[in-house]
Amino acid sequence: MQRRTFLATLAAAMAPRLTWADIGAPAFLAAGKRGHDFFLHGLSATGTSLFHIALPGRGHAAAAHPHLAEAVAFARRPGTFALVIDCATGETRHRLTPPAGVQFNGHGTYSLDGALLMTSEVVAETSEGRIGVWDTARYTRLTDWPSHGIGPHEIKRLPDGRLAVANGGIKTDPVDRTKLNIPDMRPNLTLLSEDGEFLDQIDLPDLRQNSIRHLALQGDAIAFAMQWEGDPAEPVPQLGLWAPGKAPTLCTPPGAEAFTLQGYAGSIAATETRILITSPKGGALMLFDASGQHVSTHHRPDLCGAAASSGGFTVTDGQGVVWSASDEGLVPLATDKTKWDNHLVALGCHTTSCPPKHFHLVQISSGGLGG
Amino acid sequence: MRATFLALALATPAVADTATVVQDHVRPGFTAFANATRALANIDSCDPDVLRGAFHGVYDSWMPVAHLTLGPAEEDGRGLAVLFWPDPKGSGWKAQRALLAAPPTVEEMAQQSVAVRGLPALERLLFPTEPVENACPLIQVTADDLAATAAALAAGWGPYGDLMLTAGQPGNDRFLKPEEATQALFTQLATGLETLADRRIGRPLGTFDKPRPDLAEARASHRSIRNITLSLVALKDLALTLNPDSPKTLAAFDHAIGLAETLDPDIDRITDPQAWLKLEILQQAVRATRDTAIAELGPALGVELGFNSADGD
Repeated sequence: MQRRTFLATLAAAMAPRLTWADIGAPAFLAAGKRGHDFFLHGLSATGTSLFHIALPGRGHAAAAHPHLAEAVAFARRPGTFALVIDCATGETRHRLTPPAGVQFNGHGTYSLDGALLMTSEVVAETSEGRIGVWDTARYTRLTDWPSHGIGPHEIKRLPDGRLAVANGGIKTDPVDRTKLNIPDMRPNLTLLSEDGEFLDQIDLPDLRQNSIRHLALQGDAIAFAMQWEGDPAEPVPQLGLWAPGKAPTLCTPPGAEAFTLQGYAGSIAATETRILITSPKGGALMLFDASGQHVSTHHRPDLCGAAASSGGFTVTDGQGVVWSASDEGLVPLATDKTKWDNHLVALGCHTTSCPPKHFHLVQISSGGLGG
Repeated sequence: MRATFLALALATPAVADTATVVQDHVRPGFTAFANATRALANIDSCDPDVLRGAFHGVYDSWMPVAHLTLGPAEEDGRGLAVLFWPDPKGSGWKAQRALLAAPPTVEEMAQQSVAVRGLPALERLLFPTEPVENACPLIQVTADDLAATAAALAAGWGPYGDLMLTAGQPGNDRFLKPEEATQALFTQLATGLETLADRRIGRPLGTFDKPRPDLAEARASHRSIRNITLSLVALKDLALTLNPDSPKTLAAFDHAIGLAETLDPDIDRITDPQAWLKLEILQQAVRATRDTAIAELGPALGVELGFNSADGD
């Protein structure tokens, strides 16, 4: 083997271990649809696509490794695939499939040190929730834990390692997503220890048809976004805040604003001072302060993806536009021919839930490569 | 030359139709609604017998624009301030009774809950189902507030309509591309037909075993069936203004309107199984009209319903 080839091979072998800091970009991952095809895109901080990879079906959310430039893209539920993506190159490194009789449910998260991946799953026949646990060295499945509810959707790791699980409460047909238990659904928000032990749980006794589906972390609180399955004429909150150990707070916007989101929040994101929820059905997003008080509403059809970013929030819509969102309004950043799907996932360290600083792994200097 | 013309026409299929909708469907509709509300507010009487005719005139002029829930109607909750319905817990009347004793000024009324404002609030005062004492001041302020809301809607469609007409031009952050304005109107057509099927028809329809005429829109003023027909006529106008060459959609609308016109005008009759079935057949026809309109107009206009809003998770 020639020295140059050897070095190039060595570089290729080493490259996947790059950290978020090393690659600088992308800032976000977003699934989308173009024509009849589905893709996962890496987006820059200004919303332009840096790479895209074809997905075997419609994507949903992704989970970013806490240190390495690596992320997992999940299929839309009922999910049959999850792809481990090298975010420096856009290449697929592993393809995960759930065990027989189990389906991915669109979301997942890494452990604090990145050694484990946790995936939101259901037993297909019963919608009973499981948390799949994977060893990220080779992405082999280790075990699974009960989610302590029906139909878990988003799961979120707290900075101390505990795991918050939004058990949406909806039993669905394993094939066609038909909702089977709307009259007696009981969503809950469950807190598990780092090892999957049950720690705490809340539910909404007066709003049992408000499916708890999406999560964001805000200070000590878990902000949760809901989707109302009851009478659409009833104004119900789409946002709640729960500081474990205390009772949850439900955040209803004032007056006619209570109807703006049409009972549906599609995504949630939080910065130190604001919580943002989007509603594609209502064609709007809302900003709340840390105490849950409504701050502002901005209208835009089909908004859904949302992530905290260095400047505040970045949101995406189904018409291919990436926006910057603040209290004052929406500013378009970039437009793509891809229709952005439900979720925008921040990569690297933009949010309050950032891991501690990690030293860089060994890199080959460019001088060495020149040979 | 012909090829060039065709290419140009294909490149901007939306612009002309969107402009026609704004200029011929939306703006004249809201102007007529504002005029009707002003006429009602200007009547120097609070005798329900005197006011009812003008109330019907206002409602008749609302139906041609009731489906236009975007833009000015979503600002300050104006759409809900005109028609807060359904109100399943009866919150409007509870709050209104408290206002009878101490009627607010017009300025104060604008800050009240949408549940005590607009057409249903006025209907409860003009077509009371129980005796109402000293309703005159509240009738007057409710009518004045409605006129102010209608005027704001009509005025708002000036600048908002201009945004639609200039969709895709530099600096227009509301409509980044011409087809975004078209898509917004196309979405109003689809959601208007959904609202008609699910709410105006669906709520009183209830189930075969338990029809709920008591849940119908504008039941006290006996407008429930009339509003269903007027809604269909308005949505047909929107569809055909968006794309005049839509024969399947036209046929679907005409079929549904034909069914609506044969209904007994008294919504309470749907407790009769045959009348219930006729209303259910109309609901199916409205849903079929929606599907037909989406399938025919969408490709013709080069737009689709929202990717995320159509199918959430």
